[in-house]
Amino acid sequence: MTDSLLNIAPYGASKLSDEYTPWVWNQVKQGSNVWAIPQDAGPMGNLFRTDILKKAGITTPPATWDEYATEAATVKSKTGAYMSNLASNDAGQFLGLLWQAGVKPFGYDGDKGVKVAVDSADAKKVADYWQKLIDNGSISTDPDFTDDWYQGLANGKYAGWLTAAWGPSFLQGTAAKTSGLWNAAALPQYSTSAKVSGNWGGSSDAVLKTSKNPIAAYEFAKFINNDTESTLQFANKQFLFPTSTKTLESSAFTDEKAAFYGGQQVNKQFAAISATVDTKFQWLPYMDYAYSSYNETVGKALANKTSLSDGLDAWQKDLVTYGTQQGFSVNK
Amino acid sequence: MTQSVVAPARVRPTSVKPPKKRNANQRRQNRAAYIFVAPFLLVFVLMLLVPLFYSGYLSLFATRLVGGSQFAGLTNYIRAFTDPAFLSGVGRMGLFLIIQVPIMLALALFFALAIDSGRVKGAGAIRLLIFIPYAVPGVVATLMWGYIYGNDFGPISQVFRAIGFAPPDLLSAGTILGSIMNIVTWEFIGYNMIIMYAALRSIPTELYEAAEIDGAGQFRIAWSIKIPAIRPAIMLTVIFSIIGTFQTFNEPSLLHGLAPNVIDNAYTPNYYAYNLAFTNQDVNYAAAIAFLLGIVIAVVSYVVQLSTQRRETKNS
Amino acid sequence: MTTTTSGAPVAPASQVSLDAKGLAKVRKVKPYNPEKRRSKLLTALLWLCGLYFVLPILWLVIASTKDNADLFSTFGYWFGAKFSLWENLKDVFTTGNGIYLHWALNTVVYALVSAVGASFLATMAGYAFAKYRFPGAKIMFSVVLGAIMIPLTALALPTYLIFSHFGITNTPIAVIVPSLVSPFGVFLMRVYAADAIPDSMIEAARVDGASEGRIFFQVGLRLLGPGIVTVFLFALVATWNNYFLPLIMLNSSNLYPLTVGLAQQQATSAGGGGSQALFSTVITGSLVSIVPLIVAFLFLQRYWQTGLASGSVKE
Repeated sequence: MTDSLLNIAPYGASKLSDEYTPWVWNQVKQGSNVWAIPQDAGPMGNLFRTDILKKAGITTPPATWDEYATEAATVKSKTGAYMSNLASNDAGQFLGLLWQAGVKPFGYDGDKGVKVAVDSADAKKVADYWQKLIDNGSISTDPDFTDDWYQGLANGKYAGWLTAAWGPSFLQGTAAKTSGLWNAAALPQYSTSAKVSGNWGGSSDAVLKTSKNPIAAYEFAKFINNDTESTLQFANKQFLFPTSTKTLESSAFTDEKAAFYGGQQVNKQFAAISATVDTKFQWLPYMDYAYSSYNETVGKALANKTSLSDGLDAWQKDLVTYGTQQGFSVNK
Repeated sequence: MTQSVVAPARVRPTSVKPPKKRNANQRRQNRAAYIFVAPFLLVFVLMLLVPLFYSGYLSLFATRLVGGSQFAGLTNYIRAFTDPAFLSGVGRMGLFLIIQVPIMLALALFFALAIDSGRVKGAGAIRLLIFIPYAVPGVVATLMWGYIYGNDFGPISQVFRAIGFAPPDLLSAGTILGSIMNIVTWEFIGYNMIIMYAALRSIPTELYEAAEIDGAGQFRIAWSIKIPAIRPAIMLTVIFSIIGTFQTFNEPSLLHGLAPNVIDNAYTPNYYAYNLAFTNQDVNYAAAIAFLLGIVIAVVSYVVQLSTQRRETKNS
Repeated sequence: MTTTTSGAPVAPASQVSLDAKGLAKVRKVKPYNPEKRRSKLLTALLWLCGLYFVLPILWLVIASTKDNADLFSTFGYWFGAKFSLWENLKDVFTTGNGIYLHWALNTVVYALVSAVGASFLATMAGYAFAKYRFPGAKIMFSVVLGAIMIPLTALALPTYLIFSHFGITNTPIAVIVPSLVSPFGVFLMRVYAADAIPDSMIEAARVDGASEGRIFFQVGLRLLGPGIVTVFLFALVATWNNYFLPLIMLNSSNLYPLTVGLAQQQATSAGGGGSQALFSTVITGSLVSIVPLIVAFLFLQRYWQTGLASGSVKE
């Protein structure tokens, strides 16, 4: 919570806003206060197995979600692989997809007012779309980042992964045997006129109020997350996708060709996606609880293949109850 | 309460001294005794009693993210008694207690008796083998078994597939409790066995040699001489198992990563208290849950002791 | 299941030996030699059961020789395509700038300090309860006994809150101090001391003019040796294997003991959001972490034995 964080705007942080991707910067500031220096972000894209899609007669990645649904059914029937996996334990992935669809499930005014609308009509439209794919068996709903799921990525159980910008380098270490078979694309779109994406994951470095030397702490956070050299290190060694515009535009970053992706310039791809992320997404002041509650509501519906819409209703109810209990005034 | 578990120690009074010097000596000895006891008592009070009372105190308040802390009386306790998540966790551990504890202790007793009987070749090696899992931290044990249970790549599934059967899903909603029971059994049979075995070793051999010469069989000796003789040790393992069961935390918290949809955040009461405190930021309710858990353990332990005592008095 | 209490019952032993003497007087006993009556069936059965206890550890050993790919694609009880043990070991000690060594050292320090402290406090208190009659002894001892029933994990949370009030969470003290209390250790030492130290010896020392402190340190400690070792060993294992307490008390990873470190590493390799798959590193790290205690068990076997059984050997 912001109670324990130091507002670093007075230390010069507000001047940094131009150096970061706008939607990322919006995540760390509140009004004129700046609470942290962005470290990494997760604009979402689509990683897929070219060999499996080819077997199903697909040579270009789906451009729209409608195409995605049709092709998913083809892939399943021709190859037995799932087009992708919608994780039943990962609110982050689902929220990223809502984010892309322009849904605003949460809001917070910085004081007592929160907005919870995970059961809105917009959100349910997204849920209904996935419900169809789950019901006809063309995507799976396994929990992600489990041993079984790793296996699935490595052995072709999943033909693709809707993931964030940290995904590509992560996958290289996990499914090394499938090197050269993967490719990266933007997420399928809802309309062909405007390309948009959402975000999944990311982190920032804050300065604690109790810090004995806030200036040094701030300078350090700024250095490691702003210096081109340092952010490149993070990107290559720790899969932290950079947020500083300088790095995103530097050729050392974008021109790198990844053998794992058949020589594709994956960084360039995701740098381009990063520019399409909707800037207005907001969070709740109690996201930890929201994530854990997701697992018990929407996650359960995914795992048991029951109604996602009911799952969203249950999640909504739970988040409203908790928020009210904690003294917030909850609006829709 | 535990006094009845193990026979009370016989404390012999120091021998009587001439009355004159007695007072001065007694005072000197009292002082020494207090000095000996003081360090332990200090830590005992600070680390056991203070947190216990603090926990009770906290449980009477409610804290909100907005608005701070307020006195709430017994609200948290009323909430707990109507909280399906908490009640199902307690119920689950009750089931655990009824199924896993008897199996584990029966096996431990069997191994202890078998090794003690002197009829097993390489008994020393076997004893060590059984005891070794106790040296493995719960974290590592759960991690290991988690892989062994794995649906796609675990050796159990692999064997099933190799002989042409569909592998069982050992991490599903219906099976995971059994899988956890197995891990706990594996970890603690050795611990319980060594307690029982040590007690068995201290039964003087004359006691059953006599019976053996009279032609009593091994089972008869075990049943009528050895088991009654180590009854207090067995009782001790029962009490420790009750306490351990209701405190179960490591296994669900680590298996949660493997089966996130099966293990919810209230899978065991202790895991629930942890999640309440650190995810939900609801320290007061967590304190109430922890306090109730302590009461549940005390009551169950007490009832178990009482019922066995009654049986003992009936028998004698 | 974490039974953090330590010790083993010595009490029943002495109780039984009294009855035994009564009986033993009645009959003259022929030499008893069970060695000649080995049962093949029982031996086979027990060795079969023994498999259950080693198979998981054997799996761990074999898995430590595999890389991530082989781990998920080859038979669990046979080696993979590549023998990666040495690489894995290198990874264990180099990942995160060698953080693993920090964890190992922390574990050793926490466990040793806690176990030494807990057994020392328990020994002094147990000795006093056994060998002195002083006002308040009864009530104090009853309270201590009752405390055996308090689930230690239920106390961890309030202890954490108290510590954080004084700013000592996330320090070694936060892990060590709560581990110093072993009510069961006190109980055990009281029973043990009652039998192991003859009152006549204490009296003799007093007549010689020895102070009470000197009697404890020179007469008491020596005779209490095996009992102390038992309390020490159980306390050592309990802290070595403890997960819950350090998990909630610590949040800097260079203060973690092995249990928390390994669990965290496993969770991040399964955590997403810009992390690495460290499965084989975690597995190999787990194997390395259990080696010291297993070796200790092998060598200290004798001590478990004497410590636990000597309650009956005396008298």
